[in-house]
Amino acid sequence: MKISCVIPAWNEAKNISRVVGEVRPYVSELIVVDDCSDDETSALARTAGATVLRHPINRGQGAALQTGDEYALRNDADIIVHFDGDGQFLATEINDLIAPIMSGQADIVFGSRFLGKASNLPALKKYLIMPLARIFNRIFMGIKLRDPQNGFRAMNRQAATAITIENRAMAHNSEIQAKAFRAKLRIAEVPVTVTYHEFGQKFSGGLKIASDLLIHKIIK
Amino acid sequence: MLQQIIALVIILFFVFRLFGQKMKHKISGNEFGLWLGFWIIAAAAIIFIKDIDRLVKSFGFSGAGINFLIYLAVLALFYLIFRLRLDLAKMDKNLTELARQNALNDKK
Repeated sequence: MKISCVIPAWNEAKNISRVVGEVRPYVSELIVVDDCSDDETSALARTAGATVLRHPINRGQGAALQTGDEYALRNDADIIVHFDGDGQFLATEINDLIAPIMSGQADIVFGSRFLGKASNLPALKKYLIMPLARIFNRIFMGIKLRDPQNGFRAMNRQAATAITIENRAMAHNSEIQAKAFRAKLRIAEVPVTVTYHEFGQKFSGGLKIASDLLIHKIIK
Repeated sequence: MLQQIIALVIILFFVFRLFGQKMKHKISGNEFGLWLGFWIIAAAAIIFIKDIDRLVKSFGFSGAGINFLIYLAVLALFYLIFRLRLDLAKMDKNLTELARQNALNDKK
């Protein structure tokens, strides 16, 4: 079974070699999509053993993930894992994530920071931004998941084919979740650890995500 | 009356400019038609402002016809901004697809 991991990366020269090195043992192919970095991300990822695709202009994380998914599907991937390039996820948890797919219990598996494993989630996110995002997702997107914004996920070929990521920026998280529910895929959530090196998505970023999602609903 | 004449002169200026742009092939035939239609309607609204006053009153609005035209203009502007936003979003989507195909073809 071919397991491909897609890592979107933009100016990740500081982390990419380590991340590729950590993930490589757990997957058959590692695809780094360099979203037009100014630094040495592409060269370092290639040296570390990744297949590198490079966007000629910066298009955002969602766009990079879709590019990686299309490449993986064309190259016969059976399972596609999405992983971040900044080292906030644990490569050792890839096996936990793909286990429900390997056993045939799920088509798509989302990592969750709210199922028991310790994550150093900032309090503002934990008690305000995430609950609000969960409510938004539930009401407007029909998503019933504990973690509304987690980039660590795995999907089988059927799920990857059914889900085309159209939100090129950060709204792709909710989009993928919503499309998984809409396509009636078998969905599972597994606990994952997320290590925050910085605050990440702010409240204003959350509002931008909500506006992107609504605009995409209109222009479809 | 003077205000109406000034407004018509301004419209005439834009219509001449529009013809100039069409002659220099800076705008398409459709765009030319759309803007010409817009300026003709604007000129008609100014010429028949008294009739619009009467029409507005018959609808039960208390304001003058010119106010009604301003409300319509604001609505039209909102609509145009919305359309622009949608067009930009579509162009953005196409740009992403181009970047993607470029990245994938480089790897073939």
